[in-house]
Amino acid sequence: MTKIIQYLTPDWRDEAERRLKSELSPERMNFITSSMSNIYLDCPNGKDKYLFFRFEKGLFADLILGEGEPPDAEFRITGKYETFARISRAELGSQKALMTGKLKLKGNMIKALKLASIADRLNKVLSTIPAAY
Amino acid sequence: MTIQNDPFFIDFQARIRMIQSEMAKANIDVYLGSRLRTLSWTLDAFCPWRSFVVIPPEGLPTAFTFVIDAARVADDSWLDESNVFGFAPMGGQDQIELISDFIKDLLAGGRGRIGIESGMSNYLPEGNLTHYEFERFSAALPGCELVNAHTIVDKLSMIKDAGTINRFREASRIVDIGHQAVFDALKDGGYRGMTETGIAGLAAFAMRRAGSEWEWSFTGGNEIASGYRTGLTGGACTPASRREIMAGEPLMVDIHAMFKLGLGDHSHNYLIAPVTDRQWWHAGNFLDIVRLTLKSYRAGITPSELAEKMMGFADERGFSDYMVPGFEHGIGLMGDEWRIGLNDGPFPYWTNPDHVYQAGELLICAMQYACPEEGIGFRYENPVVIHPDRCEPLSVFPLTVDEIK
Repeated sequence: MTKIIQYLTPDWRDEAERRLKSELSPERMNFITSSMSNIYLDCPNGKDKYLFFRFEKGLFADLILGEGEPPDAEFRITGKYETFARISRAELGSQKALMTGKLKLKGNMIKALKLASIADRLNKVLSTIPAAY
Repeated sequence: MTIQNDPFFIDFQARIRMIQSEMAKANIDVYLGSRLRTLSWTLDAFCPWRSFVVIPPEGLPTAFTFVIDAARVADDSWLDESNVFGFAPMGGQDQIELISDFIKDLLAGGRGRIGIESGMSNYLPEGNLTHYEFERFSAALPGCELVNAHTIVDKLSMIKDAGTINRFREASRIVDIGHQAVFDALKDGGYRGMTETGIAGLAAFAMRRAGSEWEWSFTGGNEIASGYRTGLTGGACTPASRREIMAGEPLMVDIHAMFKLGLGDHSHNYLIAPVTDRQWWHAGNFLDIVRLTLKSYRAGITPSELAEKMMGFADERGFSDYMVPGFEHGIGLMGDEWRIGLNDGPFPYWTNPDHVYQAGELLICAMQYACPEEGIGFRYENPVVIHPDRCEPLSVFPLTVDEIK
């Protein structure tokens, strides 16, 4: 039986790292060097959380889950916990979330456009984690 | 990227430092430019979509434009991608939020004085901050004072540097190639069956082959008028129509080329045979007043002095009824095509008739001769550089009214 992991917990982070490393090769990541923070507002515990990703030449260098102010990142995506959860459950597309203002992106759009397909790949992998929200 | 031994080199970093120095004097913390002329003058890139430039108190400026064109603007500009942002209808990425967040990061405590560009213009693509944009930026930047500051750029851009003048010189050389192509196509009966739009197109083709980036004028690109359309009252704007060129009629060819945001703008005039004595009389008047005007332009004179002298000459010769009493319009890098000098005349945002020309200014010597009742008119336009004792016309296509047989 598949183990259900609570979304945005240390266990979920570990599973996310395992899946991202095994499923997204540096080649699939276009050998990018970049960083991104997802900032989850209004989490079930009443606090804000972040998930910080850093890639070095396509390899996952960091995946940090924390509370409070995230490390500096090239891109910062902010939204409600529920919005991210809906994206992870494939109930809402990340593009639509951005275009309807449910997610807020901070960072250079020219670079973001180059990374859009990679972000989709990354979200797709994360959405395969059996999670409870 | 332009290199310093290039005749078309413009020191954009020095321009930014000059703006920053003027900002400091005016107690302005951040300059938010939105006019097309400011974007061209600071970025060295054509920005056809709504765009902005944010100039901090020191360091490099940052451009903001519609996301679909941002990478191209970065590629054309002297700035690299990290200083060009694209905006889009996405959370945090619409132009108001993106730019105001960016400005807040530049200001200590998110407070300060923001220089904006407000005003009015006859030139539709001027790009002043709209009322709505002003309200939205004001709301998004609480604690900031938005003050009109376009005079900073207007003052600094008035005297042209060598790179700018060379770009205009090259654009004018290309325009002359366009005129030659039109002449070659019209002569020996070639005009038969041609339309105004056809002439506009063949001039465009010749100029593009010679390196022109586009027929930049917002007045419809290349302006061609034939027959009665040359003589429309005050008619200094004639987008080409589908009208066919006819024997016995005048033809006015006003073509535009762009080279690295430098603008070519020259009009040449024709009479299609058979030509009457009366038509030659009009043509002679026109050529004489153009020659006298070009002889008169120099540093130290004013638009009103020049107009008075020229209209006096026209009156003596009996053709003042046919002259539009204006002899110039402003010009600068793409988007700067309106008034001469600063906004300091009796009518806001119109040319000050008492503006004193200085050496190094560039303007379009522009004259319109129109006799509607006889269906004849002529136009002269040419970028001229003002020197201490003369002016230098940049287009050197021979000043004639050519008879086409």
